[in-house]
Amino acid sequence: MFRLDPMRIALMVLMLVGLEAAAIFGGFFGREIVTEIAILAILAISLDLAAGFGGMVSLGHGAIMGLGAYGYALAAQAGLPPWPAAALGVAAAGLGGGLIGAVAARMQGIFFIMATLAFGQMIWALSFTAGWLGGDNGLGGIDRPSLPFLGLTDPLSFASYAVGLLLLVFLLAAAILRSPFGRAYQAVHENPSRAAALGVAPLRIRAIGFAASSALAGVAGVLAAQHMQFISPAMMVWTASGEVLVVLILGGIGTLTGPIMGAAVFVGLKYWAAGWTDHWHLVIGILLIAVVMAGGRGLAGQAEDWWRRAWA
Amino acid sequence: MTAFWTLQALNTLQYAALLFLIAAGLSVSFGLMGFVNLAHGALYMLGAFIGISIAAHAGFWAALIAAPLAVGAIGGALYAGLLARVARQGPMPQVLVSFGLVFIAVELARIVWGDVPLGLDPPALLAGRVQVLGTVYPAYRLFVIALGAGLALALWLAVTRTGLGAGLRASVENPAMARAIGIDTERLFLWVFALGAGLAGLGGVVAAPIASATPGMAVSVLIPALIVTVIGGMGSIPGAALGALIVAGIEVFGAALWPRAGAVLIYAALAAALIWRPQGLLATGQGR
Repeated sequence: MFRLDPMRIALMVLMLVGLEAAAIFGGFFGREIVTEIAILAILAISLDLAAGFGGMVSLGHGAIMGLGAYGYALAAQAGLPPWPAAALGVAAAGLGGGLIGAVAARMQGIFFIMATLAFGQMIWALSFTAGWLGGDNGLGGIDRPSLPFLGLTDPLSFASYAVGLLLLVFLLAAAILRSPFGRAYQAVHENPSRAAALGVAPLRIRAIGFAASSALAGVAGVLAAQHMQFISPAMMVWTASGEVLVVLILGGIGTLTGPIMGAAVFVGLKYWAAGWTDHWHLVIGILLIAVVMAGGRGLAGQAEDWWRRAWA
Repeated sequence: MTAFWTLQALNTLQYAALLFLIAAGLSVSFGLMGFVNLAHGALYMLGAFIGISIAAHAGFWAALIAAPLAVGAIGGALYAGLLARVARQGPMPQVLVSFGLVFIAVELARIVWGDVPLGLDPPALLAGRVQVLGTVYPAYRLFVIALGAGLALALWLAVTRTGLGAGLRASVENPAMARAIGIDTERLFLWVFALGAGLAGLGGVVAAPIASATPGMAVSVLIPALIVTVIGGMGSIPGAALGALIVAGIEVFGAALWPRAGAVLIYAALAAALIWRPQGLLATGQGR
């Protein structure tokens, strides 16, 4: 059962302040990195909601995020203003992911993973064969929205907007998990037959939970489209989804704070290692195996463990 | 027009033979140990690269024998050292640890062999082309078809006709009972895993003259092989053969007849298989 205890709040505030500080003092490059971390963290939080709290490990979240990005870009191309277009993108991801969840909800374990892989790859394959989606070349010339008091054209305000969205998504996910629905959702994960005996419909709960997770993935997609102002099928292929899973595991699954830590470490490592080696995936692979063999709690889970032991 | 169909049918058989070599080990470790080994594609890639290196010194035929043995040894060592420990922990740790191994193997291959695709010439004996049913087809590809069909037959006979095969089938059906009647399932698992790795390595060597070797093949071959396993049914040699034929048929004929939608068909087939027959067409065991 998810609890937003003082330790998690403290960790969350610390990480957000750190990201914002990096955006303010980091120059152009720092701001780009902060934005990238925020997008990846939002996607990883959405995957945490499905995999960590619902037991639905998805290899299709990259494609679902792509639904959000393409939904936003197409709506904006059709002449819609940015904010309604963003809402449409999020709705497209929630609806598409909800359909996948409705079909896959009755499968367990590896079959669920394979089903999300199949549907995700179908979306990916369609996007690069369909001419009206720009095919392999993707879509360009995507607009950024503007806030009443803040233009989002300069990197600093856009990075701050991304960090703000990250906070919003974190709070939304926490609110979902603490709602009566969220309690039923976690009960279905922990003991499906007992939850069913208590009058909870496991399949419907799982499907709705996957739809909610997909809508949050759509937020990441819309943000990514606004950031790069260009989208291509590359973000939807299954290895992109696999990378998000890696980020979630490195950070700590089932914690909601772990995804942010995982995203920061992943993106940070990528740019730091890119300075001196072309082989940073080697480090990620070793780190991933080490984390799983150490019990699979991830960085945030490990930190919470130490914290509890130090205070208990 | 018949030449077109003959050509596509031969291409299907040739691709199916390769897919079978890769998927056989994946399917049996899936069915026998419930182990989802995403690193199986990496073993296939290692087979191709090691084979190319051996062939440069000792020729194609030596590579065809030695590279699968080397990859089988690597697979056995990986299983004994690391994978046996995660095999019993459920799908999540298996997927993650083997995914980590994919990252490591791909980077090591890039360091050792580089990013440039490496080719391998077919042996002189098979370099020519042969007249088949009104079309001309490379002799080497016919050799691949024969090799795949021969190995499928040999594996099927080994599983159904030998004592070792009986132990294997017993362990797939009911591991606890197999242990109770004195089958050393742990040792069996190790040998089966090494054999599956060796077959993937053989697939890699055999594929190198057809499509040159790149580090990316570790990932690109994985999805078709997983689809073969799911469609055919886990833990079944005939299932892997049937699945390989179906997947190869969909890919080859889909690309030839309906190029715009060909890429989607294979995933649609996977989704349909998962929805209507998740245990696979020819499944054995408990349908895990």
